[in-house]
Amino acid sequence: MPQPPHPLLPPAWADRLLKLFCPEALQEELLGDLHEQFEQQVAELGESTARRLYIGQVIRFCRPYFIARRLRTTSGSPYSSPFFLAPLMIRNYLKIALRIVRKDNTFTLINLVGLATGLAVALLIVQYVRFELSYEKANPLADRIVRLTMDYLNGGTVNAQDAETYNPIGPKAKREMNEVVNYTRAKPFSKRLTIQQGDTYSVVDKALAADSSFFSMFSYPLIRGTRNHIFTKPRQVVLTKTMALTYFKTLDVLGKTLKIFRPENSILLEVVGVMPDSPINTHLKFDMVFSYPTLLSDFNQKEDDWNGNNLYTYLQLADGVDYEKFTKSLSAFSDRLLQEKKITNERVIGQKIGDIHLYSHKTYEIEPNGEAQSVYFLLGVAFLVLLNAFVNYVNLTTAKALDRAKEVGMRKVIGSTLAQIRTQVFLETVLINGIAGILAVGLVAALQSVFVQVAGLPEGFTVFGDVFFWESLVAFLVVSSCVSGIYPAFVLSSFEPITVLKGNFSRSAKGTFLRKSLVIFQLTITLILLVQTFTVYRQVAFLRKQNLGLRMDHTLVVKAPIGNNSKQAYDAFRQMLLSQSQVKSIAYSGTVPGLESSQMGTSTGVNLSDAIKKTYYNYYLTPIDTSFIDLMGIRLLAGKNFDATTRPVDSDTTDRQLIVNEETLRLWEIPTPQEAIGRRVDLWGRQATIRGVVKNYHYESPKSAFIPIILLYSPHFSSFASVKFTGGNAEEHLATLKRVYEANFPHSPFRYFFLDSEYDKQYKADDRFQQVFGGLTVFAILIACLGLFGLATFTVSKRTKEIGIRKVIGASTTNLLVLLSKDFIRTVLVSILIGLPVTYFLVNNWLANYATRIELSWWLFAGPALLVFLLVLLSIGGKTIASALTNPINSLRSE
Amino acid sequence: MGRTYLGEFEELVLLTVAILNGSAYGLNIAEELKQRTHRSINLSGVHIALYRLEEKGFVQSELGGATAARGGRRKRLFSITAYGKRTLDELRQVRNDLWEAIPNLSFL
Repeated sequence: MPQPPHPLLPPAWADRLLKLFCPEALQEELLGDLHEQFEQQVAELGESTARRLYIGQVIRFCRPYFIARRLRTTSGSPYSSPFFLAPLMIRNYLKIALRIVRKDNTFTLINLVGLATGLAVALLIVQYVRFELSYEKANPLADRIVRLTMDYLNGGTVNAQDAETYNPIGPKAKREMNEVVNYTRAKPFSKRLTIQQGDTYSVVDKALAADSSFFSMFSYPLIRGTRNHIFTKPRQVVLTKTMALTYFKTLDVLGKTLKIFRPENSILLEVVGVMPDSPINTHLKFDMVFSYPTLLSDFNQKEDDWNGNNLYTYLQLADGVDYEKFTKSLSAFSDRLLQEKKITNERVIGQKIGDIHLYSHKTYEIEPNGEAQSVYFLLGVAFLVLLNAFVNYVNLTTAKALDRAKEVGMRKVIGSTLAQIRTQVFLETVLINGIAGILAVGLVAALQSVFVQVAGLPEGFTVFGDVFFWESLVAFLVVSSCVSGIYPAFVLSSFEPITVLKGNFSRSAKGTFLRKSLVIFQLTITLILLVQTFTVYRQVAFLRKQNLGLRMDHTLVVKAPIGNNSKQAYDAFRQMLLSQSQVKSIAYSGTVPGLESSQMGTSTGVNLSDAIKKTYYNYYLTPIDTSFIDLMGIRLLAGKNFDATTRPVDSDTTDRQLIVNEETLRLWEIPTPQEAIGRRVDLWGRQATIRGVVKNYHYESPKSAFIPIILLYSPHFSSFASVKFTGGNAEEHLATLKRVYEANFPHSPFRYFFLDSEYDKQYKADDRFQQVFGGLTVFAILIACLGLFGLATFTVSKRTKEIGIRKVIGASTTNLLVLLSKDFIRTVLVSILIGLPVTYFLVNNWLANYATRIELSWWLFAGPALLVFLLVLLSIGGKTIASALTNPINSLRSE
Repeated sequence: MGRTYLGEFEELVLLTVAILNGSAYGLNIAEELKQRTHRSINLSGVHIALYRLEEKGFVQSELGGATAARGGRRKRLFSITAYGKRTLDELRQVRNDLWEAIPNLSFL
């Protein structure tokens, strides 16, 4: 039969389109009809018209009827494969997944525990990071609010940065800079105000004095009262809701008065508003805010005072102002201040308020700030822990894939499509992840309170009320399912039925390579975390062991009574205390070690009178009395201590006496302490004499370098009294001190602390970091070991017969142990090789933050490496040894 | 229980299948319809009507033998079922009754 010539065929793409949309079973007849029609039309109407009509026809076939039928694929050939997402199939996938999950308890358990802990850790850390990053975010104006701060310069270099500014800078900036539309000043009164209500006195934790614009700039609404026209007058106050309830038991407090107790002149504040409580995620927290004019009327604040920078200044920039442009104009503003001789050797610097909490580490911050580096570091580590869990899952599942090769082969022979097998495996992962997610929520609930405490989050921080927590949970589960599910799905579905069903299917080299790399990755992470944990632990312990140059045992510190008392009162207090049998000595001072250095006054540019070149370093000054140096155990290197004949610093004298520390000498370039005695110093426009030199002591924790300290003489109980007791019961000492204090200063609240524990608080951030970090490391190790245990169990189970035969032929137990653990040990060695250089680099970087730090010694690395090695042996050991000892009869008799 | 609904176009297709009984398939049904009704007939529409009729049990189908034409593809040949015939008869009866019920008035 002659073949009719077939030069003309309709467009192939149209056919493909049809195939895409029409049910498979119908394609043949439909295409047949279409092609036949096309042939006729070519003959009748010519090729181009026919093509056009053909395309039109095909497009008409892409209609819902056919598509729906294609998706249903119920009719047609009874042997065709159902659509891989058909409900029927999904039911089947789930059934099989549940069976597999149930069948292999060990692996399911390992996977579940790993994923659940990984998820819980990641969720908690993400919440923590989110909180740390959320500072000021609640304020819609945050992007446009800038805090002004002062840099102290010594020539070209900055030698100190101060968060507080002069009080006229805010108004002046608003007048002179176009970019600035508003300003507010806030002067902090931390624990310095006493409220008197009848006979009860209470100290306000966080009080601020601020301009009226405070409320609008920080976007605080008033619950009672109105933001307009308040704070124009002195002695006005806005309370937070909690404070209003504390003082008045009601929110309707407008017009009521609150008495700030001061012995010389108490102040009555009129309540003009109630605001919500201070958010926990703002750097400028408060319990009450009173009007700025009160400072002028009652706190000796001068209107235009360029002599002391003691308050915070915030500027509000105009909408749409470019920050770069503002910085330029601020720098010009700062130069003008210099020219106008308002400031010397200083520069005004701006910082966005959003950056304060994590990036600002200036002196006189209102609260200790967080550390961006630690926050991101923890985030990174949390993800590594999670990644460890993913690795476990991928490794175990792909290893187990060999077991299921036959199953996959059979499925394919019966007619499974690739998509069906992949979906099957993927759904198993989703199922495991779903269960792990539920477990993780349970774990988070269990760990939450511990975590809040350890990480130093504010009280009342809870994760479950936050929608973001659930969102991130879902996101993690999706990511986790994809990361850990896709690869195994592809591996399993790639098995060739012929190969796997013939029976000589062995592990592929490629799969093992990937698994080994992943294990190496896990172990490397574990090693790095271990070394880091060791280092952090050693470093903190090292800091604690430092010789501080101070003795702080058995010492109670009590804060000065309110108001100005007479010198007689102070002396009486001292005498009465000294007459107590347990009291060794007592010293008055402006500050005590362990408090922030911002408790001390600072002065820049204290120079020797005969200095050729003036320097502008920042010096810390604090008054002490005659017994302070002895009591604190500070060593006097040269010269004399203050004595009763010394003129106090506040007396009008030309003969000020100073005791300085070694660091000060270094800055003044005096080589030995002896040479310093008797040298004259310019201080506050007057001359003073160096009377003594003390050895450097760690006023702040040894984390920071020594600071230059100048000690002045004052016999008054102006800030703190340190009382040293003979050894014995601390409770008793406290009772004694309280009794004596209240006998002498009946109107003042008794505020005290133990010197050593207060000093210890400086290590809080390090302790916290150490604890969180240590916790993360433990989780990482746990997960990695679980994974190794799983892998070892699997490997051994695959080789039971081989081991039996080897034993029969004559292999010794040792031979077998080596054989079985060889691979793992090689893996450990590789990860140690990779891990050590990386961790060396990281650890060095971290230690660079500390002025006093440990030497890196070899065992700091060898120890963790050995530990990892042992952990690996431990994880794989049990199964390996058991199988090496098995009687070959047991492993060989069954087929 | 009412009779399965038969659309106007479906009825036409069913009738055509009956005409071409045994050799009816998508394309020749479409052509037959085009010739007889002078409508523009859409191949996909005819196919859908055929499949629906089959689902409703009015027609049955089988694949024919391969021919060299149309790229060697087989045709699906449709024939009317007894149920289909009966339905057509009933429809016709109903129409006749209706016609006869029209009063003998002149419309013109």
